[in-house]
Amino acid sequence: MSLCQNRLQEERKQWRKDHPFGFYARPQKNAQGVLDLKIWECGIPGKEKTIWEGGLFKLVVTFPDEYPTKPPKCKFVPPLFHPNVYPSGTVCLSILNEEEAWKPAITIKQILLGVQDLLNDPNPESPAQAEAYNMFKKDRTQYERRIKQIVRENAAP
Amino acid sequence: MMEQLPLPTSLAEVEALIRALYQPNPPETISKIQEVLHRLQRSPEGWQLAQSLISHREDNIRFYAALTLIIKLNRDSAGLGEDDATGLLENLVGWVMQSLADGAANFVVKKLCTALVTYFMHFSHLWPNCTRHFIYCLDLGRGAPVDSLDDALGTDVLVTKLDRQKLRLAIWFVTSLVEEVGKTDMTAPKFHQVHSRLVKNGLDVVCLLARGFSPPADSPELKIQGEALNCFQAWILYAQRASPNPELVAPLRQLVSAAINSFADEDLFQPTAELFTDALGNYSSFFTDEHYDTLASLFESPWAAERYQRIVHGNHHEEGISFGLLILAYGDAKVQELMHSTDSRSQGLLARLGGLLAADGYLVGDDTIFVPALEFWSTFIETMIDSTYSDGEAARDWRPYAEQHLKAVVMSCWRKIQWPSAETFAEWDSTERAAFGDARKDVTDMLQSVFTLEGTSLVSFFAGLFLQALAAHSWAELEASAFCLGALSDCISDEATYDHELSKVFASPFFDLLSQAQGPIPLRLRQTALALIERYCEYFERNAQYLPNALNLLFAAVGDSVLGGPSARSISTLCSSCRSILTGEAGAFIRHYQTIRSSQVLDSLAEERIVLSIASIIQAIHDEAQRLSMFEELYTILKRDFELAVQLKAQPSLLNLQNPDFLRGLDPPNPHSVPPAEEIALQIALRSMRCLSSMAKGMQDVKEYPVDLDSDPHSQPANSRLASLQENIMRVLVEVQRVFNTSGEAVEIICNILRAGFSESQPGPFVFSPDVVTDYFVQQRFETPRVGTLLSTACSFVGSLYRGPQVYVPAQLTRLLPWVVSLLQALPEPEADTEISLNGITFTDKLMSKYPDVLFQPHHAPLVEFFFLFSIKVLDGTEPLPKGAAAEFWANFITLKPVNPALQQTISSAMTHLGPLLAASLARNIGGRAARSELDKLCEPLKKLVTTRPEAQAWLQSALLSSSSSTTDSSLDGGGGGGGGGAGAEQERVGVEERVGFVRRVVG
Repeated sequence: MSLCQNRLQEERKQWRKDHPFGFYARPQKNAQGVLDLKIWECGIPGKEKTIWEGGLFKLVVTFPDEYPTKPPKCKFVPPLFHPNVYPSGTVCLSILNEEEAWKPAITIKQILLGVQDLLNDPNPESPAQAEAYNMFKKDRTQYERRIKQIVRENAAP
Repeated sequence: MMEQLPLPTSLAEVEALIRALYQPNPPETISKIQEVLHRLQRSPEGWQLAQSLISHREDNIRFYAALTLIIKLNRDSAGLGEDDATGLLENLVGWVMQSLADGAANFVVKKLCTALVTYFMHFSHLWPNCTRHFIYCLDLGRGAPVDSLDDALGTDVLVTKLDRQKLRLAIWFVTSLVEEVGKTDMTAPKFHQVHSRLVKNGLDVVCLLARGFSPPADSPELKIQGEALNCFQAWILYAQRASPNPELVAPLRQLVSAAINSFADEDLFQPTAELFTDALGNYSSFFTDEHYDTLASLFESPWAAERYQRIVHGNHHEEGISFGLLILAYGDAKVQELMHSTDSRSQGLLARLGGLLAADGYLVGDDTIFVPALEFWSTFIETMIDSTYSDGEAARDWRPYAEQHLKAVVMSCWRKIQWPSAETFAEWDSTERAAFGDARKDVTDMLQSVFTLEGTSLVSFFAGLFLQALAAHSWAELEASAFCLGALSDCISDEATYDHELSKVFASPFFDLLSQAQGPIPLRLRQTALALIERYCEYFERNAQYLPNALNLLFAAVGDSVLGGPSARSISTLCSSCRSILTGEAGAFIRHYQTIRSSQVLDSLAEERIVLSIASIIQAIHDEAQRLSMFEELYTILKRDFELAVQLKAQPSLLNLQNPDFLRGLDPPNPHSVPPAEEIALQIALRSMRCLSSMAKGMQDVKEYPVDLDSDPHSQPANSRLASLQENIMRVLVEVQRVFNTSGEAVEIICNILRAGFSESQPGPFVFSPDVVTDYFVQQRFETPRVGTLLSTACSFVGSLYRGPQVYVPAQLTRLLPWVVSLLQALPEPEADTEISLNGITFTDKLMSKYPDVLFQPHHAPLVEFFFLFSIKVLDGTEPLPKGAAAEFWANFITLKPVNPALQQTISSAMTHLGPLLAASLARNIGGRAARSELDKLCEPLKKLVTTRPEAQAWLQSALLSSSSSTTDSSLDGGGGGGGGGAGAEQERVGVEERVGFVRRVVG
């Protein structure tokens, strides 16, 4: 089995054994019902005591063949209103960038927790969409109203 | 800075300080003492200090002395000559012996062992056979020279001469040895030799541990088998990290049988189980077939049967679940073999592993073995799926056996996920509740895998359980059955094959019971049942006879505080996918909606979903007149809200909170104090605008529907009713925006409504004519809230224009361009609003790429001129998003190739003027202003410039040589891709020659 597959098997095992509260992460199944370890469907809950609390946001994590040398790609489906999420839904985060802070030792749990942190703690240095970035910078009240609306639309069951 | 204590001048003072360190003292005193002691430890006198205190009668002082030795070894080993080091070892061993002999506390002896290990890490070449030598000295009762070891007896003999106390000490040492060395990087050259010498100690360690497992009879109160197990586990862990390393693994394997024997000792059961669970889980290849055999027969023993019963019927909190985890780890390690073997031993073990899913008590608070057991079974099922494909025909031998287990597993899971009584549930804390929910999700996953293997039979199994539970009015079982059926919906909902089974459920009298308002069905079951309807909406599409009943149920639940949200979602899912069957119901649904509205204030999100549902049904009505009538009926309800909002804003005294129409404006629904009437008016307007936006979404055509190829909507005469409806909608939107002119949300929603129309190819109430949309945009001023969003909507509008008939396009673009540029001109500076700059540039880029002649119309010249300079300023700026768009714009502009020769001429002469400015900006950026992550984008225009313009070299050269282009920003870490080979030239420090050379390389 390839390094990528091996590592993903191990990640899956570790995740099953221990994962943070309110999150989910599972490989997708292909048409025959066999797991495709390279595409994971994940859910990121908004952190408690933040405006994101109560929301659950679906994230698709796609692992390249070169994983874990190269980082996976994380994409909110549907795209999320957030300064560091591209209009396509792709998350812009240093630990997911091969040229920045990605390290092969970073686990799926760490990635998902990192994305959860990013929700309430956007990085204005790396904007990925103008709408949320601009509102975050210029009109925080309106920004927070908008987030609350989004949380309502994506309420955790 | 903290005031420092002076260095002590006598040993007595040092002792006093150490004593004070371990006594309760304020933190600042402690840190002061620590600081002065550290200084002392690090000083050249540190060695002597340690030596003087190591035999002290007080344990704390001795411990501190040992610690000092470790610190000295780590800091000053390099300063020790070989003779000093050899002498130090003898001393160290001697001190350990002494501390053992005079009854020092265990923590002192252990710390001295760590000092020995630290010595090994620094001087392993002087002490390669540390284990054997240490055992030898223990036997002698004193430190001895390393070379005297040659004459010593064999290690296997030496260990038999040690009493329990010495044996335990030796085991402490080799445990610490493997743990400490194991923490270092095996691949680092610095530690390479240390690791290989450690491995060579393996045989001696095995001799020692073998003796540790069957120690001499003296002082039986000293339980050293536990220490031996702990040590063995540490060595296995190390062997795994060092694998493959037969030199180490082979001897270690000899200890497995002895370790297995420890199971029998009640006191040793726990550490033994932990050792095997850990090693089976992480390093299953460590064990040989013979070991597995021994374990398997152990699991068949009466002893194991008794342990197993305690897991299945015992108290997990008091007795633990170690035995369960042990057999699960065994199962996991051997899952392939167990699945393929049909012998009674394997089958028996699998049956017991299945039984772990049926332990007494509720998930997860009482029964803690279920979740790990489910994990094993999920692996088992995945292995079955893989093997079913890979084994082909051969799967027939084992599959019936495996399927028997699956049946039991599924049944146990179905029992386990049943909700407890409300009273029991109320006693659980939030963690237990969440864990219960998580376990149900895990079961969902598992069932989906089982479905891959079993298909229809799994559906009929749950349908059968559903009917049985219904007959018995056993609500918890019924809920679990509905939940499990729901879990399978992802696998089966779009295939009619299973409809026969599903019809048994959906045609059952259960749904009649559910519709009784005061019926017997508990809330949780109602929730699951409504979710089941939603999950199987494709089924209802195929079996329309059940649809009205289902929708009635859902509508009835819409007003419920718990069920309302999910029901509204289910309604919108069902209506959206079954719209074409439901067209006849549109009127009834609108009345339903009106009735609910008049009696209560719905949750606003639920209301939006219901409006969306009804709109999607209206969209599917074939007859246009009827469709528009229904649309008007629904729209009129919302229109009245707008009118009310506008009136209230003008006349706050109208506010009457007894009237539900006004109550709609309370957000949150139960505020602490009543907000001002203006705020309520705004919320009424926004709420209905969101509903209107939902209508617009609902009215969007769904692509799956067959398109009538014979019709040509464009050739049809415009429908005047539709036109007046559109006019009305637009008038209302503009009016609401005018009245609530500070609301950014209102603008956002209008943008969403417009966007919903952009994607449509057929006429509809929200598919406004291009003129109307353009009219709307050009009326918006810079002061309008969220004007950036308006601009981004205008970009989408251009995109939609490009997908439609091209005759309308130039006229719209000609009107929009001045508006867009006027907004950019209104910006106090280019980066004042990134959304405006980004979308302004994107708009112009879009326009230019397809209609350059519109952009370069002579009367647009001043606009275009402004835009060019604006975009260069943005390129020089620091906002990544507009900057990226500007780079893209310029890359496109440079390569623009219009067919019209006059236009070519215009562009070329524009470039002659702008080229130097662009080159200067690019040079500044690539020379240091831009961030690393921006370089790829910025290199595009540079590449294009160099490949298309002969003057590029001169422009770049003059840009680089002119002092004004020199940047104050710091340099970059590397070159940009493509054209910018060595683009990291830091300009202040880069000479003229290099700058010229750089340009030559870029251009070349």
